[in-house]
Amino acid sequence: MTIASDAMPSSAAARAREATVRRFALTDALFRGLTRASAILVLVILGGVAISLFAGSWQALSSFGFSFLTTESWNPVTEKFGALAPIYGTLVTAAIAILIAVPIGIGIAVFLTELCPRPLRRPIGIAVELLAGIPSIIYGIWGLFVFAPFLQTAIQPFIINVFHGVPGLSSLFAGPPYGIGLLTSALILAIMVLPFITSITKDVFDTVPAVLKESAYGIGCTTWEVTRRVVIPYTRIGIMGGVMLGLGRALGETMAVTFVIGNAHRISASLFAPGTTISATIANEFTEADGDLYTSSLVSLGLILFVITFLILAAARYMLMRIDARTGA
Amino acid sequence: MLSPDMTMAETVVEKTKIEVKNLNFYYGQSKALKDISLSLPERSVTAFIGPSGCGKSTLLRVFNRIYELYPKQTAEGQVLLDGKNILDRSQDLNLLRTKIGMVFQKPTPFPMSIYENIAFGVRLYENLGKSEMDGRVEQALKRAALWSEVKDKLNASGLSLSGGQQQRLCIARTVAVKPEVILLDEPASALDPLSTAKIEELIDELQADYTIVIVTHNMQQAARVSRQTAFMYLGELVEFDRTEKIFTSPREKRTQDYITGRFG
Amino acid sequence: MMALCVVAAGIGLAWLALILGALVYKGTAGLSLAVFTEMTPPPGEAGGLLNAIAGSLLMTIIAVVVGTPIGVLAGTYMAEYGRFSRITTVVRFINDILLSAPSIIIGLFVYELMVRPMGHFSAIAGAVALAILVIPVVVRTTEDMLNLVPNALREAGAAIGAPRWVVIRSVAYRAALSGIVTGILLAIARISGETAPLLFTALNNQFWSSNINAPMASLPVTIFQFALSPYEEWQQLAWTGALIITLTVLGLSILARSLTGRREDR
Repeated sequence: MTIASDAMPSSAAARAREATVRRFALTDALFRGLTRASAILVLVILGGVAISLFAGSWQALSSFGFSFLTTESWNPVTEKFGALAPIYGTLVTAAIAILIAVPIGIGIAVFLTELCPRPLRRPIGIAVELLAGIPSIIYGIWGLFVFAPFLQTAIQPFIINVFHGVPGLSSLFAGPPYGIGLLTSALILAIMVLPFITSITKDVFDTVPAVLKESAYGIGCTTWEVTRRVVIPYTRIGIMGGVMLGLGRALGETMAVTFVIGNAHRISASLFAPGTTISATIANEFTEADGDLYTSSLVSLGLILFVITFLILAAARYMLMRIDARTGA
Repeated sequence: MLSPDMTMAETVVEKTKIEVKNLNFYYGQSKALKDISLSLPERSVTAFIGPSGCGKSTLLRVFNRIYELYPKQTAEGQVLLDGKNILDRSQDLNLLRTKIGMVFQKPTPFPMSIYENIAFGVRLYENLGKSEMDGRVEQALKRAALWSEVKDKLNASGLSLSGGQQQRLCIARTVAVKPEVILLDEPASALDPLSTAKIEELIDELQADYTIVIVTHNMQQAARVSRQTAFMYLGELVEFDRTEKIFTSPREKRTQDYITGRFG
Repeated sequence: MMALCVVAAGIGLAWLALILGALVYKGTAGLSLAVFTEMTPPPGEAGGLLNAIAGSLLMTIIAVVVGTPIGVLAGTYMAEYGRFSRITTVVRFINDILLSAPSIIIGLFVYELMVRPMGHFSAIAGAVALAILVIPVVVRTTEDMLNLVPNALREAGAAIGAPRWVVIRSVAYRAALSGIVTGILLAIARISGETAPLLFTALNNQFWSSNINAPMASLPVTIFQFALSPYEEWQQLAWTGALIITLTVLGLSILARSLTGRREDR
């Protein structure tokens, strides 16, 4: 059983070992460098996006200056471009979408974590997450062929009639009923961001320590009281993060909106009127843009969208990181 | 079980394998080992005992510098392996670890077949033919007393074995690369009594060829398998002597208190 | 109040069911063998989606072949060599932003990067745009999955004298394999429906093309063009294409889920 040579490699073997070790040190340094370069490439990509957008938009920004942001007109014939209408459309559609999607999304999350019968929780949760992955063009085509005609014939005339003559609301919901327009886009966006908000809210709800909830139930709180007084306050930052992430998504969403926004460069008081968003303008006009100034103006729109979404997403990630740090501690 | 005459064979004539000189260890700012000095004789079993957090595992992890996988862990002082300081910056870590193998608390088979678990380490440094490699795998599994249990399923996943078998696979894996020293970090603490007995038997056999250091929180285990024992407390080496002496007539009161179960 | 939550769940799920219902109803109406064997037709004629499907497949393959290694390597740095370094925190933050950045912005970037210097639209530009969308998904899942590999395994690998890259290759990757594959599948699912980044990179092509240096048709862009057209045949093909994409994406997501599901069971 005892093999003395087991523990003592000969000196030739020892030399071979040292050569091997040197080779390992080299390959390891190479592999390490390769992985590090790849990680840095991620930073380079984002930097490249910022730089190329700046470079591409320089012509438009230098010829229009600050007025690019405040001008409504968008005229390819006279080469006068202003970003106000698409910015307005982007902000309004995203804001309405979030206003609709947040309460429903949180409601679904509460339903899934507190109310739903256990055997249904996983299937519904999985369904919600699968739906988050459906490409936006699907929502667009549905919006164009199914949802918009339905709104046009069944809903919009009714609303226009109801609010006719009511100050404020009558201009907010002024006709004619096109079907497509700002509100339709906002509704489609709401459906799209719903799964995101739900799944993130559900995840942060799951970080609430069971003890906290149990002690609240223990002193006789109802499910609603526990949710409102314990779960939501505890996860407020995380929910905010989820909402901001949804907002970032809604602001930058292209295809679903492009189908149903109407692509009109004007700002109208009515939510039923066609409008445009930054991403829809780029998607609709970029390949047809003739003239450098036109293209540069479209890239400028892209730069504005990039800056807005970057700030929103950075804020969202920061909030979600804080939640992670707390559960990690 | 060690025979009495073997323990009586005094350590004076024996060669020192590892010598620790004024070793300090830090986790960030906090000092985990305080001025440790001791010598471990070649081809014998040394046990480190003490309450959890006393630094016994930390000391073991200095010997193969495995702590360097993590940031902010630093060692000061000297650890001499055959007279050469392994804490020296020029020491290649992979080379060091081929000389000083380690078996961990929880069995850690690699996510590959039983055969590959052993061949993996051998292949790194030796270019063996198929039959030589087969022989090496068989030899290692036999040394770890696992051969008879797995010889018909060498291609099965290492994860399919029982806990005790997995731990013996890890010992076989360590033995297969022909180290000089084997470090055992509470190797039986996750195992049932029967598997523990097998591991202890194995340790007893392996000391004929290897210098073995075992960390254990189980004092009976230390008494059963080791020839000398170090008692550590709060990062200090309180007492280091022949195992028999530590367990029958310790010099220090703290050692006495610990082995009689007054704390720990 | 809690009743409202049930209502919310009902509304949300019903709404999504309506969309899928319409998609299946309208899409299956045009589903036939011709869809997969014939080229996209001129206006007013019958035809299929063969060149668009082939274009999507080709660009997706190139994007995955280019994007996956970069993503896996970057994720490897973050979870292994650079786990405790500051770069990793920064890269993670930026990667998360890239992950949800509007894809049309990526399209503009690749336009400025490739289309403008080359002087023409091309399939390779489209593939690069898709690759840039693949990277953050793969980075994220690779890092997450490698972080789940117990440190004990890394220590065990190092303890037999294996250098770090061998431990990563033979132990960590192997232990995290199904998770990493899941990430790649999710990335494919993500790009297979992407339209915006292809609009002004790969553009479109009415005909069969296998030249990656020229414009190429893709399923999403074809759907976009056909759906907005006044021709009934085109609109029908758009619906059918939309159904194909949705089924592909759902299939990939379910496959990805079942892979990680099995991993958790073990």
